[in-house]
Amino acid sequence: MAEARKQDWIDKLHDFDRRWIFLAMGIAIIVPFFFPLGLPVQVSPMVRSVYDTVEELHEGDVVFLSLDMDPASVPELQPFYKAVLLQLKQKRVKIAIATTWYAAPPMLERWIRETVEANFVPDDAPAEKGLPDRDHVKNKLAKSKEGRYVKNVDYVWLGFREGKEAVISGMGKDLHDTFDGRAADGTKLSDIPWMKDRRQLKDFKLLILVSAGFPGIKEYVQQVQARYKLRMVGSCTAVSTTDLTPYYDSGQLLGLAGGMTAAAEYEKLVNHRGSGTQGAEVLNVGHIVVILAIIFGNIIFFVGRARERKRRAA
Amino acid sequence: MKKQVPIFITLVVGFFATLEFYLPYSGVSSVQETLLRFGQVLAASAFVLGGVNVIQVNYPIIRRRGADWPFKLLLLCSAVAMGLVGVKWHEVGGKPANGYVRAGAIGERACEMPDPKAKKPGKKVACGYIRVEAGREDAQVKLDGDAPVVNGKPHPSAWAGDQHLVLKVPVGKHKVDVSVELAGYGKFESEFHVEAGQTIALNTDLVMLWGPTGRVYTWIYDHVFAPCNATMFALLAFFIASAAFRAFRARNTEAALLLGAAILIMLGRVPFGRAISASLPEVADWIIDVPNNAGRRAIIMGAALGAIATGLRVIVGLERSHLGAGE
Repeated sequence: MAEARKQDWIDKLHDFDRRWIFLAMGIAIIVPFFFPLGLPVQVSPMVRSVYDTVEELHEGDVVFLSLDMDPASVPELQPFYKAVLLQLKQKRVKIAIATTWYAAPPMLERWIRETVEANFVPDDAPAEKGLPDRDHVKNKLAKSKEGRYVKNVDYVWLGFREGKEAVISGMGKDLHDTFDGRAADGTKLSDIPWMKDRRQLKDFKLLILVSAGFPGIKEYVQQVQARYKLRMVGSCTAVSTTDLTPYYDSGQLLGLAGGMTAAAEYEKLVNHRGSGTQGAEVLNVGHIVVILAIIFGNIIFFVGRARERKRRAA
Repeated sequence: MKKQVPIFITLVVGFFATLEFYLPYSGVSSVQETLLRFGQVLAASAFVLGGVNVIQVNYPIIRRRGADWPFKLLLLCSAVAMGLVGVKWHEVGGKPANGYVRAGAIGERACEMPDPKAKKPGKKVACGYIRVEAGREDAQVKLDGDAPVVNGKPHPSAWAGDQHLVLKVPVGKHKVDVSVELAGYGKFESEFHVEAGQTIALNTDLVMLWGPTGRVYTWIYDHVFAPCNATMFALLAFFIASAAFRAFRARNTEAALLLGAAILIMLGRVPFGRAISASLPEVADWIIDVPNNAGRRAIIMGAALGAIATGLRVIVGLERSHLGAGE
């Protein structure tokens, strides 16, 4: 019987417990929340395009905001949603909100209460130029309505419809018909003056799509964008970015904000540091941990392979 | 007949769906709209079929105490519970009222107050009272769309300490909303005219709602579904790190290229990459814009051609696997 060979350092590396990687990743996620590196965020051209397209809107314009997501993608997509909402509020743009995801409505209804109807920049937020929410807090007693949208007056919540691409295609043809002519609270769309004549997606100045997967930006492009020549910008999870960049290059998407870093860039553009900026700090360290894990894994691989070859040669 | 009818339906539906793209004639478009509505109804009906399927798959396993039967039992119980809380029980037997308005006699309690619209202070106007008799301690009130001002400060609560809130308002039309911040409760909204010296009492008892916007459904969504859903996604960070360590190896040239590109993208997409070198984000953007887009476009076009071919085969009845032809 062969005597068991004594473990050397290479064997020990081979048996490296992956729970150490989990621990390193856990630390990499938690520590930056308390000790941020504070590295400057640089705005990329795709994110800049989203901002510039939204900037072209004027007071009273109406946009269609599709929030196709579930709670899993909140950390990546909510920062962008909040940042773009601030920009829309700043411009006093009216918003029609809908979703094609069944898991979204309870979450979105809360978001609408907390961010559309209410002000979500706190009282003690540092002075940043032109934030309507902060202005509203200051002018509460003066009854400033700025920063606080009223249901069916400044925004309408259409709710959810099942049918995925069929619903998107249906909205392209007849939005009122797709939602049975009513908002989620039962109000007739024909009773809302600015929705009365907006029967199709092409009647909106801009489509803003916040999408976590299927159905989402890709389906909007395929079902309605090319057909009705819609102006669309989007935000997606980081993992979908490479899937969607061809649509940005072809001009079908006028801008694309992919993942948390893009949300941090957008927050910089609207001058509001939120959870996207905080998340980018975490990504800094998280990505380094993954890269180190790759390098470490490859060192073990190459050292092991070299020893194996040497052993075979001997 | 069992096959011919579905093939005929597929042919007609597919024909109109395709035709509508090329013919601007409104007749074709209206048929297509009807078909889309059918599609939505069918998609919604699929949920019912899904529910039946879940029972058909799991119930036999529970009955014979098969593998993981406790989990299957939990699944069925959860599904039934969600189904039950999704029903609007509060509307059974008619829609309940969230409160009512009681108007007192005009001139019962004469009062005057500073004119809120006056530019110069000192001008007074006749007023009346609104008494909010809220049933819940956390009730909040809005007068004419905003928190009422009491002693110069906004007072959103429907209570004045432990007393009912009484608001002095100028004579005229007023709108009062009483609600709670907690999701899943009804809202009391009322618009009325207050006369001089009149007290309008609002007796509110906000109803707890059931159904998809109800309290129980929302609570389960917020406290069970959302955290579980987020946790599953959050675990990805750990699995990616672990997979990167165990599987992402430069075994050959292609793998080494993939690995190099991945590292460059990961560095280029975060501020840390720019701190290392200003050109790293540009390199990452180039990888995404040029090689990635070229590959993606090829995949998208290939997939689209494949989808067209498969679609045509389904429409003309050559592809029958969806009818169970292979079984």
